[in-house]
Amino acid sequence: MTTLTQDALRKLVAQWMAAGKVCVGPVRVAAGTVLFQRLASAGDLLLDGWLRPANSIKELVLPRHEPLYGYRADRNRIELLDPPETVPEQIAICAHPCDAAALPILDKVFNWDYRDEAYNRRREATTVITLACTASDDECFCTSVGLAPDAERGSDAMLFDRGDGTFGVRTLTDNGRAALGDSTAKSGKTNPPPVKFDLFDAARFASRHFDDPFWQRHALACVGCGACAFTCPVCHCFDIVDERSGHDGMRARNWDACQFPMFTLHASGHNPRHTQGDRQRQRIYHKFHMYPEKFGETLCTGCGNCARNCPVGLGVLPLVTEIPHAEPV
Amino acid sequence: MSGTEGFSPKIVAYVCNWCTYLGADLAGTARLEYPPNVRIIRLPCTGRIDTNMVVKAFEVGADAVLVSGCHPGDCHYTAGNYHARRRWMLFRDLLEVVGFDMRRIHFSWISAAEGRKFQQVITEITERTQALGPYRPYEAVPARPQCGAGASACQPAAAADFPAQTKLRETAARLLSEGAVKVVIGYGARGPVFITKPEDAARLVWNESCFANLTTYLKRKEVGALGKPAVVVKGCDERALVVLEKESQVDRAAVYSIGMACSGMGQPKCAACDTHQPRFANETIASDGAPAAPPVDRYLELDLLLAKSPDERLAFWTAEFDRCLKCYACRQVCPMCYCERCLADKNRPQAIDTSPHRQGNFAWHLSRAIHLAGRCVGCDECTRACPAAIDLRLLNLALARAAETKFGYRAGMDAAAEPLVGAYSLTDKEEFIR
Repeated sequence: MTTLTQDALRKLVAQWMAAGKVCVGPVRVAAGTVLFQRLASAGDLLLDGWLRPANSIKELVLPRHEPLYGYRADRNRIELLDPPETVPEQIAICAHPCDAAALPILDKVFNWDYRDEAYNRRREATTVITLACTASDDECFCTSVGLAPDAERGSDAMLFDRGDGTFGVRTLTDNGRAALGDSTAKSGKTNPPPVKFDLFDAARFASRHFDDPFWQRHALACVGCGACAFTCPVCHCFDIVDERSGHDGMRARNWDACQFPMFTLHASGHNPRHTQGDRQRQRIYHKFHMYPEKFGETLCTGCGNCARNCPVGLGVLPLVTEIPHAEPV
Repeated sequence: MSGTEGFSPKIVAYVCNWCTYLGADLAGTARLEYPPNVRIIRLPCTGRIDTNMVVKAFEVGADAVLVSGCHPGDCHYTAGNYHARRRWMLFRDLLEVVGFDMRRIHFSWISAAEGRKFQQVITEITERTQALGPYRPYEAVPARPQCGAGASACQPAAAADFPAQTKLRETAARLLSEGAVKVVIGYGARGPVFITKPEDAARLVWNESCFANLTTYLKRKEVGALGKPAVVVKGCDERALVVLEKESQVDRAAVYSIGMACSGMGQPKCAACDTHQPRFANETIASDGAPAAPPVDRYLELDLLLAKSPDERLAFWTAEFDRCLKCYACRQVCPMCYCERCLADKNRPQAIDTSPHRQGNFAWHLSRAIHLAGRCVGCDECTRACPAAIDLRLLNLALARAAETKFGYRAGMDAAAEPLVGAYSLTDKEEFIR
C-alpha cells in the first residue's frame, strides 16, 4: 500500500497490538506535553498537532531502568536469576528522522569492544516507522548535523504526511516491509530547518579549547539536572545499581547523566569535573569530538530536545552557536 | 493470626527507645499477649523517624505502619516528639492527597509504663489490618496514563510593550557601574543571564516569559565567585529569599534584590497570585502590564483532585510518577533544595532507590515534597522544569494548604514568622494520635 489513511494506520496498530507487539508512539500526557509512550490502545496514538515529543524512542532499546539479573541468597548459596531471553517485538510509530537516526549511532557504542546483550536483544526486536517532518521550530537543527526532515537512516519505513489525513508509505527494510508491505511512495513536502552552525567549527573548537573560559561562562545558568541527557535520542550513559530486599536482590542498569556532580565523583571525594561548566563542556565534547574521533560521526541528531526541555534555556544548539569562530586553523 | 485466606498482616512499628520500646518490653515481662505480626524497629526518638521510613516500610511489603513514642512532655530529648508531631501533621495530608490508605498508618504515644496500652494498640491494629487485607499500593496499576488534573484555564498574558525593561537595564547598569554589586542575575532572551559589565545590561529582558526563580542561583559556588549579586525577583520569587534568610542560607545584606512588579507570566500559579508586588526588595520597578485580575482560589486544582476517591488519586499519581525519568530537574531548579548532598544521592545505605521504577519514583517524590513542607513558596519551578509534565504542583499545594489551615503559615510571606518545620508548639493538634 503506498497510501494509508489515519484510520487505516490506527487499524494496523490495533492489529499489531492484538498480535502481541509492543507499540510506541506519540501520546498526549498533559496539556502541552506529548511523549513517546507505550500505547494502551490504537486510539491513544496522536497523529497530528505536535512538533516532536519531549522524549525520544531511545527507551525502546535502552530503557531508563533495566533489570539485568536477579539474585537470591540462601545460606551458603547464591542463585542468579537471568532476565527473560526474549523481548516482545516492538514497533515505534511516528518516530522522527532524528529519533530513527539515533539507533545506528547507538549500535556502534553498544557493539564496540563488547556486544551488549540487553541492548541488542531489544534492538533486534525493534521496527521503526518514521514520520517525515513537515515542520520545524527554532530548536531543530538536523540539517546542521548532516540529517534532514526525511532522512532515512535508522528507519524501517517512512511515512509522508500528505496533509489531507493520509500518509505516503515508503518501506526501506525487511522489517518495514513485514509491517507495511512493499511500497515506494515519493517524498512529501518537507520544511527543513536552516543550517545553524558549522559542524567542523564546533568539532574543532571542542577539540582544541578544553580550558577555554567559554565553557564556564556559558554554563553559569546550568542547574545540573539530567533533562537534556535523558530526553536526548543518543545520550546513552548508564549507572549500575544493586537493589536488595532481604535475601533477594536485583542488579539493574539505570540512565545516568554527565550533568550530575555524582557522575564523576570519586570515592576519595575528589571530583575531576567539579564545576557545572566542566560538565557542560563534557557533553559538547563527547558529542562533537570524542565520539566522532572513535566512531567517525557526530553523537547528535539535531532533534533539539535538550534545548526544548532545558528549564533555563541551555542545550546543544544555544551553546554551539555561541562558540567563537574567529580562530586560526 | 491467620485470616480466612491465609493472610497474616505484616505491621512495622517504628518506636522510640525511651518510651514505647520500654512499653513493649513491659508488655513482654508482664506476659501480656499480643499478636506476633508486629516488627518493632527501635530508634532513638520519634524525631528521628524520617517520613521516608514510613514509605520504605510499604515498599518492602508492610500492610500497616505504626509510629509510636513518648507522650508530650516526656521526650528524653525534651522536644523530639513535638517536632515529630508537627511533621506528621503535614505528612498525613501529603499521603492523603497521594491516595495512600490512611487506615493503615497509625500514630500513638505509649510510655514505658503502658505495657497494657501497647498490647491493646498492637492487637487493635492487627485486627483492623487483618480485616483490610494485604496492602500493595504500587501494584494498583492504572490502564493508561491520564492527563494532568491541574491543567489551568489561565492564559498567558498578552505580549505587551514593557517599558519596565528599560528601567531594569538602567538599574542594572547603575548598580554595576557604581560597584554596588558585581553581577546582576536576570532574565535574558533565552533564560537566565549573569551580567557583570554595565554595557551588557542591554542583554536583560523583562517580558511575559520570565519564568525562572533566579534565587536558586544564590547557592551556586560558581555564581558566588563572581562577587556580590543583585538578583531580579518577582513577588513570588522573592518569598524564596525570605525563607532562605530564615534558614541562614542567604545574608540579605550580601544580596541586592531588584523587585519586578508583575502582572502574571501565564503560569497556573499566576491566576492565584496575591504577591504581584514585591514587598521586601531593595528597589522595585513598577509594572507596566495590565493590572492583574483578582486572585482565584489557590487550592482549586487540589480540590478537584481531592474530590476523587483515594484509589483514583493513587492511580492518578501512579500514572504521573511512572513518567518520571529521575532527571532531578525538579530538585535542581528549586531554590529551597540547597543540600550539598541530597538524600536521594546518599548511597551508603541507599535511602531512596535511584531506579526510576515505581517504588523509587514514589519514594523520591514523597521525600521531595515533604522536605519542602512549610518551605515551598509555590514558585512552581519544579513543575515547569519537569520534562515529563508531572503535576508536582499539586503535591506542593497539598502541603501549602496543610501549613496554612493547621498553622496559619505561608512560607516566605512574613519575614518575622518562625519557620514552620524546625519549630513546634505545645498546642499542635494531635487528634490523629492515639
